[in-house]
Amino acid sequence: MPESLYYFLQQLLNGLTVGSTYALIAIGYTMVYGIIGMINFAHGEIYMIGSYIAFIVIAALAMFGIESVPLLIFAAFAISMLVTSAYGYSIERVAYRPLRGGNRLIPLISAIGMSIFLQNLVRIAQGSRDIAMPTLVTGGIDIGPQDAFHASLSYMQMIIFAVTLISMVLLTLFISRSRMGRACRACAEDLKMTNLLGINTNGIIALTFVIGAALAAIAGVLLGMYYGVINPYIGFMAGLKAFTAAVLGGIGSIPGAVLGGLLLGVTEAITAGYFSTEYKDVVSFGLLILILLFRPSGILGRPEVEKV
Amino acid sequence: MIRTNLKPAVISAVVVVVLSGLLMGVRLNQDGTNLTLVGAGPDVYWKIAIAAAFIFFYNLFRDHLAALWKAMPGMPKTPVQLIEASKKPILRRLFWCFLIALAILWPFISNRGGTDLATLVLIYVMLGLGLNIVVGLAGLLDLGYVGFYAVGAYGYALLAMYFDVGFWTGLISAGCLAALFGFLLGFPVLRLRGDYLAIVTLGFGEIIRILLNNMTWLTNGPNGIGGIPKPTLFGLEFSRKASEGMQTFHEFVGIDYSSEHRVMFLYLLALLLVLITLFVINRLLRMPIGRAWEALREDEIACRALGINPTSVKLGAFTIGASFAGFAGCFFAARQGFISPESFTFIESAIILAIVVLGGMGSQIGIILAAIIMTILPELAREFNEYRMLLFGLMMVLMMIWRPQGLLPMNRPHLELRT
Amino acid sequence: MKMAHKKALSQIITAAALVGFSGYSLAADTIKIALAGPVTGPVAQYGDMQFIGAKMAIEQINQAGGVNGSQLEGVVFDDACDPKQAVAVANRIVNDDIRFVVGHLCSSSTQPASDIYEDEGILMVTAASTSPEITERGYKLLFRTIGLDSLQGPTAGKYIAEQIKPKKVAVIHDKQQYGEGIATAVRDVLTEAGIDVPLFEGVTAGDKDFSALIAKLRQANVDFVYYGGYHPELGLILRQSSEQGLDVRFMGPEGVGNTDISAIAGEASEGLLVTLPKAFDEDPKNADLVEAFKAKNEDPSGPFVFPAYAAVQVIADGIKLAGSADTEAVAEALRSNSFDTPTGTLAFDEKGDLKDFNFVVYEWHADASKTALTE
Repeated sequence: MPESLYYFLQQLLNGLTVGSTYALIAIGYTMVYGIIGMINFAHGEIYMIGSYIAFIVIAALAMFGIESVPLLIFAAFAISMLVTSAYGYSIERVAYRPLRGGNRLIPLISAIGMSIFLQNLVRIAQGSRDIAMPTLVTGGIDIGPQDAFHASLSYMQMIIFAVTLISMVLLTLFISRSRMGRACRACAEDLKMTNLLGINTNGIIALTFVIGAALAAIAGVLLGMYYGVINPYIGFMAGLKAFTAAVLGGIGSIPGAVLGGLLLGVTEAITAGYFSTEYKDVVSFGLLILILLFRPSGILGRPEVEKV
Repeated sequence: MIRTNLKPAVISAVVVVVLSGLLMGVRLNQDGTNLTLVGAGPDVYWKIAIAAAFIFFYNLFRDHLAALWKAMPGMPKTPVQLIEASKKPILRRLFWCFLIALAILWPFISNRGGTDLATLVLIYVMLGLGLNIVVGLAGLLDLGYVGFYAVGAYGYALLAMYFDVGFWTGLISAGCLAALFGFLLGFPVLRLRGDYLAIVTLGFGEIIRILLNNMTWLTNGPNGIGGIPKPTLFGLEFSRKASEGMQTFHEFVGIDYSSEHRVMFLYLLALLLVLITLFVINRLLRMPIGRAWEALREDEIACRALGINPTSVKLGAFTIGASFAGFAGCFFAARQGFISPESFTFIESAIILAIVVLGGMGSQIGIILAAIIMTILPELAREFNEYRMLLFGLMMVLMMIWRPQGLLPMNRPHLELRT
Repeated sequence: MKMAHKKALSQIITAAALVGFSGYSLAADTIKIALAGPVTGPVAQYGDMQFIGAKMAIEQINQAGGVNGSQLEGVVFDDACDPKQAVAVANRIVNDDIRFVVGHLCSSSTQPASDIYEDEGILMVTAASTSPEITERGYKLLFRTIGLDSLQGPTAGKYIAEQIKPKKVAVIHDKQQYGEGIATAVRDVLTEAGIDVPLFEGVTAGDKDFSALIAKLRQANVDFVYYGGYHPELGLILRQSSEQGLDVRFMGPEGVGNTDISAIAGEASEGLLVTLPKAFDEDPKNADLVEAFKAKNEDPSGPFVFPAYAAVQVIADGIKLAGSADTEAVAEALRSNSFDTPTGTLAFDEKGDLKDFNFVVYEWHADASKTALTE
């Protein structure tokens, strides 16, 4: 196979890796928006906190002499998801619930304020420097000829794909098969009606935030291990990209968020690989604007009719 | 009652510990090339313990506390006479005259730092008033306002760099350029509903910043553009030595050079721009287009039913709002003498939006007050450097919870039936 | 009153009086030096280096008796590496009547701030701003204790051309003044020496994912890469290169030469070439100073720690030589004398730059140590 094909394959794989993480974070945005119509600006910061907790857990266990990589990773996932869920729940309770049902701008400002607050909280607690962790999972497989250009797929990338896939499947099963999942869907359809029917909508909304936060934590752990470097400012850009992905795929739709995330990741990688690394963000946002111009509800979104 | 509250109280205290224990209780430490953990120190542990205890007792005695709060006299309400008085047009006019007089006298009664700070406040007032048109009056959620600000600033800087344009020409051009961008942006986004509009404008603001950062051949990229000429008064420069063919202000008037003069001049210039802005917006509010903006915010469908074309109204709001940002940007560039893309991030948009919402959407006096507070607070809190932004974020959240209608909500001109 | 109480009371009064009087005398006789740089923001770690160096110098000079009988006092100002805040800080410094500034850190902050300082007669010594443009404007009160970008590039380029002699070199930079300036200089030297530079590209500072760039480098089949910029990006590039099978030698300027790069890149930082000023913290002359830093749990190996120390020191020595704290006199003294500092013997030229500043090529190791390859 010609070298250019391997090059394309490499960029594709890179794009899908990053895209999966966008997808994980985007789901949080889309679920919250789907149910209460609010853009949770602080979601990116939740992802950042997830990364930090992962680093703390791994550092702690390493200090106690635990060397087993699978154990470290498992512990990082478990504790990180627990803590970020607590954050998701608390933020909803404290900053968003009192503001529900009014002008759309008010909870938005509150969310922006929350985002700034969390970012600086972590900065004060952990310092603004980059914190680096040695690579835990090394090695990978090579696809293609050894002596010429070949695509390489690292084990870490495979883990990212696998975990994302499993998370998606579990989430979809939950939403479509379980009772609470049905309640979630009902809330997304019509919140007031669902409330009238006796479902505890406050609890469902809280659950949505918790699920979103847990997924963001997964992304945080994965990306923390993949790049190995974190600082308090990674939440903003990641949140923005994930948000773009959610809108791209149709905000309110979970498969849309996944599709949007992957699409965004691949677009960025292709732009960086074939044109210029400098403008890949411009292309991402440009793509968003284009999609919104021609299909305002996103790729998989349902065009909403505004009722009088 | 205490027993029923016991469980939620315990749970919330545990949540507080979970939230802060790991994230703040230990500190990641880069020890050479190793990653280790150190305890954050006893004072942090105490803070966490106190916070948990506080939440525990607050939840435990929540009902008691709520009853206590109601029983208290409450926030002092403005006396009825004051409210009645504020409605009289003569008093309002007097109030504004007083305010403007104070503003003009300010540089003469305050020191250099105070005047400089006041100039910054005025820039934010201008930005707040401009965004107010888009968000407060027309109800369009714009999260990328900083993009127009950047266009104005860079427009002037580039014109000055390449075409040797002076400040006043630059001001007009910057405003027109920003208005053009507003028009171009407004076009495609008109059809989008509220939140989508927000996202697109956010993306637009980011695109502008990234383009400015990357188009090094035009904008010098992250290194910014320096040497931007300062404004002149009818050709008189405010510097120690005049450049070629120009004369300096202090030579013309015959006084000693003091760099304070330039600071005062910049302040008065900013004040002039702000007064013009206020005047223009007040006029617009009373014209059909101003009414159309407010109608659009209240109910777009009803607007359309009444025969108002929402497209052109939105476009008007965007364009005019953008032009004010352009003016502010041009002035900002002239005052700083140096601009770089770092000054035009999303946080700026957030701050300006916060000013509009804090002031009470649509209310101009509220926005002035909010701009003053938002600019002065970080300066006062410089001693708490570390905690400055933290408190800022917290304040945004708290303000929204406690007083979402803003500090001085807008008083719409209306008629009341009196029986 | 009981005897014990009376005694205690008189002790308290005496103590209070002493504190009061000493405070008064301190206030009357201090020379304030503003320390301007990022306390918050993404490059706060570099600001840190500047602050600990300067503060240590102030502490040691004060312990040795101060300057002409006066004590030094450092006042920290945060500009978050933002030009807008830098201007605000400059105005504040003018307002607070502080006549000496060590800072700012980022060239983009130093530049607009220096306009204000020069206008107001405030002396500024920067320990970290390396952009040549800053001293090109004929300012009389502006000095540097750090080398210029225009010196490092040719040193690196020459080394690559003469010692490494690679077939193809890729030159990458972070599009900022510092990184791009050095990278351009390196590329020019290499092209003149006849070496093929098939790739000259910029990455965005703050980026995390360089896989696209690395794939490009692999495809271009280069055997050497020069990176102009700072350690956060190069560290990630090194790390991801080794993970993705890019097996080439890297070289970078002093902005990458610190322990963090080994923390980020681990094994991949072994064999990295770095141009650094002669390592101040490894100079045996400075052993005591290094011990003093370590005793306070501070890291003396950052590239701006010692230059900041030197900056405070030259200000202090300049005041001593000039006999007064008048900034113009001190500036004259700085220009006409040489000073013995932990960064070597410093002398300033007309523009305020250091007269000579030697860069040495080091080989970096995975445990953050380094060995000198040239003199």
